[in-house]
Amino acid sequence: MIRIELPAHLRTLARVAGDVSVEVDGEVTVRSVLNALERRYPMLQGTIRNHVSQERRPFIRFFACGKDLSLTSQDIRLPDAVIDGSEPFLVVGAIAGG
Amino acid sequence: MGFSNEEILRYSRHLIMPEVALAGQQKLSAARVLCVGAGGLGSPVALYLAAAGVGTLGIVDFDVVDLTNLQRQIIHTTADVGRRKVESAAEKIAAVNPHVTLQTFPVSLSRENALEIIGKFDVVVDGTDNFATRYLVNDACVLSKTPFVYASVFRFEGQASVFAHDGGPCYRCLYPEPPPPGMVPSCAEGGVLGVLPGLLGVIQATEAIKLILGAGISLAGRLLLVDALGMHFREFTIKRNEHCPVCGTTPSVTELIDYQQFCGIRGEESYTGPAVPEITPEELKQLLDAGDDIVVLDVREPHERDICRLESHLIPVDDLPARVHELDSARELVAYCKSGARSAHAVAFLQSVGFRRVRNLRGGLDAWAERIDPAMPRY
Repeated sequence: MIRIELPAHLRTLARVAGDVSVEVDGEVTVRSVLNALERRYPMLQGTIRNHVSQERRPFIRFFACGKDLSLTSQDIRLPDAVIDGSEPFLVVGAIAGG
Repeated sequence: MGFSNEEILRYSRHLIMPEVALAGQQKLSAARVLCVGAGGLGSPVALYLAAAGVGTLGIVDFDVVDLTNLQRQIIHTTADVGRRKVESAAEKIAAVNPHVTLQTFPVSLSRENALEIIGKFDVVVDGTDNFATRYLVNDACVLSKTPFVYASVFRFEGQASVFAHDGGPCYRCLYPEPPPPGMVPSCAEGGVLGVLPGLLGVIQATEAIKLILGAGISLAGRLLLVDALGMHFREFTIKRNEHCPVCGTTPSVTELIDYQQFCGIRGEESYTGPAVPEITPEELKQLLDAGDDIVVLDVREPHERDICRLESHLIPVDDLPARVHELDSARELVAYCKSGARSAHAVAFLQSVGFRRVRNLRGGLDAWAERIDPAMPRY
């Protein structure tokens, strides 16, 4: 199971309280994880990636294991620690509160 | 620069640390730091920087102290409600450390004044509460080559970094564009744990002091994510984007722009769809008093309903598509929320699925409490 941490507003949208977990068939990449996430929570479609291009939206970043995975291809394999569920895959969004 | 005996005693816990010492304290005394916002983040930032002996503190804030601020904006007190925030903050700062020179700017930071104001300072600490001012602060700091310490908060989560410093990334490298209006709630809409801006503000004050001292490793090039609920502090490397429109190799933003337009203009809650039929609080009161057959629909969340409500049926706006069968389209229906924005979405949705006798309570419970029932709690 892949653990995903979503920003608060997307947790509200998906109606989940904490981390979400998804099963991914085949290679575990940013794309396959997000595809699995959006299959399970269809209301998240278009909030993390552009509906049409499937590119990451510019106010969202992807992080895991101390690394910024936002600028790499969505088809790069995620770190082993994410694949074995010991580390989460983080979807981080811009917030403006002060 | 000489310190009086009183100042030497005041700063003694700094002076005995080799990383600060007399030379470091003199740097602090000579430093000029601008706090943009005297709110949740700005409160601890200003108090700690003043206590630390930063010589010149600037505070920009156009706002007045509101009762809802006091749960987190610890520089202000109950007696300050209604006062300008810069006045209230200046009074507390002077009480903490009378050696601080204060410059207050009771204005909105704007494209017209940002470069002039920021130009008077060595370091900027960004404690604003909206995307438009965050992009303005970023661009003005990049253009004026002024490092700025960033933090933002929402609910239990915070982010912090140092931007426009030492060849590192800027805010636009991290988030090139803001979310569309309405997509990410503000603290006024979604709430924030009162101590969270305290946590992040203290981190900002620490980073500002490190920048002044030239000590330690700054957060430049790193994004710190704070999750207060899990009490996780995580950091991630972030890099300058060579294609960044403001700090990249061939920038397209070379002067300040219209940030309201860039970020989209929005109030606390907004509805930007087609106009929907409305009913005023007075009209609704009249219909209810007359005993008309009206279904009143509350589209807020259940925890909001615990604060205040009208006699009504609850279906949160996000649940409406799945629960629309609970409503009778033949009956007259009035939808409400806190401000009228979510219920406008609800009315637009209900119209789209065939409801014809549906109206939105204009101004929501805020307007109802103001004009019909002053005893109703407001939030």
